[in-house]
Amino acid sequence: MPESLKFHFTPVDEAHADEKNVHEKASTDVADTIDILKKEFPDGISDVVVYAGEYTVFVTRDSLVEICTALKETLGFSYLVDLAGVDRFTEDAPRYEVYYCFVNIHAKKRIRLKVSLDEDDPVLPSITRLFKAADWNERECYDMLGIQFEGHPDLRRMYMPEDFEFHPQRKEFPLLGIPGSLPLPPRTPEGGLTMDPFAAARQGSPVKSYQEPESEF
Amino acid sequence: MSVATPYHDQDAIFSFWPRHNETLLKRLESKDAWLSTERGLDVSRIEDALEHEMTLNIGPQHPATHGVLRCVVKLDGERIEKCVLDIGYLHRGIEKLAESKTYQEFMPYTDRMDYLSPYANNVAWCMAVEKIANVEVPERAQWIRMIMCELARISSHMLWLGVGLMDAGAVSVFLWTFQGREDLYNIFDEVSGARFTVSHSRIGGLASDLSPKAIEMIQDFAIRYEGIIQGWQKLLNRNRIWIDRNKDIGVISADEAIQLGLTGPNLRGSGVAYDIRTFEPYLKYEEVDFTIPLREEGDCLARYHIRVEEMLESIKIINQCLEQMPEGPIRTDDAKKAYPSKDEVYYSMEGMIHDFMYTETGVAPPKGVASYHAIESPKGELGFYLESDGTGCPWRARLNAPSFTNLQGLESMMEGHPVADIVVLIGSIDPVMGEADR
Amino acid sequence: MDSATGYLTTTVDAVVNWARSNSLMPMPMGLACCAIEMMAFGGPKYDVGRFGSEAMRFSPRQADLMIVAGWCSYKMAHAIRRVWDQMADPKWCIAMGACASSGGMHRCYGVVQGIDNFMPVDVYIPGCPPRPEAVIHALMDIQEKIRNEYSVTNDYSSGSPHAELAQPESARLTADGRDLSLNGSGLVHA
Ligand code: SF4
Repeated sequence: MPESLKFHFTPVDEAHADEKNVHEKASTDVADTIDILKKEFPDGISDVVVYAGEYTVFVTRDSLVEICTALKETLGFSYLVDLAGVDRFTEDAPRYEVYYCFVNIHAKKRIRLKVSLDEDDPVLPSITRLFKAADWNERECYDMLGIQFEGHPDLRRMYMPEDFEFHPQRKEFPLLGIPGSLPLPPRTPEGGLTMDPFAAARQGSPVKSYQEPESEF
Repeated sequence: MSVATPYHDQDAIFSFWPRHNETLLKRLESKDAWLSTERGLDVSRIEDALEHEMTLNIGPQHPATHGVLRCVVKLDGERIEKCVLDIGYLHRGIEKLAESKTYQEFMPYTDRMDYLSPYANNVAWCMAVEKIANVEVPERAQWIRMIMCELARISSHMLWLGVGLMDAGAVSVFLWTFQGREDLYNIFDEVSGARFTVSHSRIGGLASDLSPKAIEMIQDFAIRYEGIIQGWQKLLNRNRIWIDRNKDIGVISADEAIQLGLTGPNLRGSGVAYDIRTFEPYLKYEEVDFTIPLREEGDCLARYHIRVEEMLESIKIINQCLEQMPEGPIRTDDAKKAYPSKDEVYYSMEGMIHDFMYTETGVAPPKGVASYHAIESPKGELGFYLESDGTGCPWRARLNAPSFTNLQGLESMMEGHPVADIVVLIGSIDPVMGEADR
Repeated sequence: MDSATGYLTTTVDAVVNWARSNSLMPMPMGLACCAIEMMAFGGPKYDVGRFGSEAMRFSPRQADLMIVAGWCSYKMAHAIRRVWDQMADPKWCIAMGACASSGGMHRCYGVVQGIDNFMPVDVYIPGCPPRPEAVIHALMDIQEKIRNEYSVTNDYSSGSPHAELAQPESARLTADGRDLSLNGSGLVHA
């Protein structure tokens, strides 16, 4: 489409750094912690972004585990609250981001780390050895975005059945799914699995009852 | 175009996700019991000529699992040796759905996450969006949100109590607590027009003010139920059967609870004072006086005590809110950030255009920013992490669900207990699968 | 006249149908939010015991009415179909709520767009969630439908497990829930 024909019906706002957010919380002000981290890992931290009083610390993949160890052991951020991936879906690398949200319960602080990942190499070191709570979150991230976690004891899918082969949270995966990727039960005793997700519309109502198949599990 | 299907062999009899079950079983076999790795207990079995080892599959459809949770447990006689939980039977990908909805459009989906306390989810979503888009909320709306959040907490804990007791064998309490829920439904019905999928909160305020009748109903509820909840306490606190079923079951120490990432009453039952209402006060929680129940034992009984005491605290908060609630508008008066009032929409052209625009685009946070906001829902920390691309739809909406994190701890909690305790343990964790499965 | 309309069978039919319709034992397939309204439907205020259906059976072998309440994911569909197959004939099914009927608001990769894609449904209840009154209405529709069925004739001719497929047109109409439910509670035969 030519540039002149583009119709921006959505106002695109730029972030104003000076604007004060009314919902700012004291707990997200972790400038001191970041100073300590910066001193200790001068190469590990690539960027620090502040929005709405929240600090996002971009760390490199190689120093992730070290920084997490330091956060847990010396800085008191021993409680992992959230871990998830983001698909940026841009052509310029890096494509994926994984963010970690840690809480220091005694000092009432909250910090967010972020790691960027290339599309060709979506591998991260797992932090399950440090934070047991990361286990399911990492599995979920693997299920939804296909990011591999090295050293995870049990990298299975979290939500989708193991028989499914796509990673639905990726932006290229269609919202309505891919027909035939998940089968429905058979409609007749002789029939195979139903691959058509809209079988009722095309083939009518399924048979009411038949002998159930033998259980194997 | 041929689509890749996982089943090339259509003739093979399909028995309930074969590959999935295989990996599940493999995991169960290869897993180390938490008891031996973390607590150093000896879980070695006594050699017995009669095989007493057994793999048992509970769920996904089972009355005790509160929805569609599936536990595969390895039993040694009657004792659970290890356990693998399988969730995802309610997965529909609301994080993906959110990416194709405007911020306001997504609101009804939040009702259906934790469907025991929809109002708290509405508020969590609204506040997350308000934070990323920097929308101010009028005073009165904040107070009303607080009242409704506490009512939601009561209604969630009521269902938990009724169903939990029914699992343990007492049916009559279910009937009582459900009567309480019906009273709450009537209040929600009066306030929003729906029994529990309320969708009453709006970005920048509320859909409508409380009617005088609704306020009266809430007052009446708060007065009546203080006594009724104390009555339940009288029945249960010293009840032999209830104590025997719950005491020293699923004990989690404070350090373990933090390690496992438990949240909400489950964390506070282990003696960790982490409650978002005081950790990073939102709404008006700084201005009311309430205590956060805390127990040290970390067993099912402690969690029971905490939830029941929380209900009483909620009633206290509601009473204070009703006293302190100021008069005033219930939605910001900024057409870019919130819906105009219905009067404006019906009687002015501008109002109508704003209404259309808001439905079409809605609030648009700045490009490339991200923020996280959490509230204390009845189940624990319910947070939304939002990333914006400058349009009216979120680029990424991440839901940090308390049930999900709590369920993770359940796996370890179960080990070493008899099978019969599974029911009580699941009940005491209080998971809601709609939220855990996203 | 064949046996389907004989005096004896119709009289026995009437008795059997009366008994069946007033003691439906629901198997609550509570999946999601609608399950909470289903609890309310069995709870103290709406008290479905008035219709003889208060005995919720969590074992499919003891139930004859399945209420699917909530959205059904592809992963769960196989479990639902298996539970349905385990229920003894005769059996009926209610799709409660927009999600079970058509996928509802969850038009997404994980959710089956209506449970009738893999199991037969007798009554669909609209609403998100339907109020308990609507569920009671659906229950009454099922009762109405049972009262109009040729139950003995069906049993008599159902020698093989797949008998429906080989049945005459008139009997198939009653066995096939879809036709009837569209036609308004089986009034075809009234
Ligand atoms: S119809 Fe509505 S209330 Fe019922 S399960 Fe679906 S989303 Fe939930």
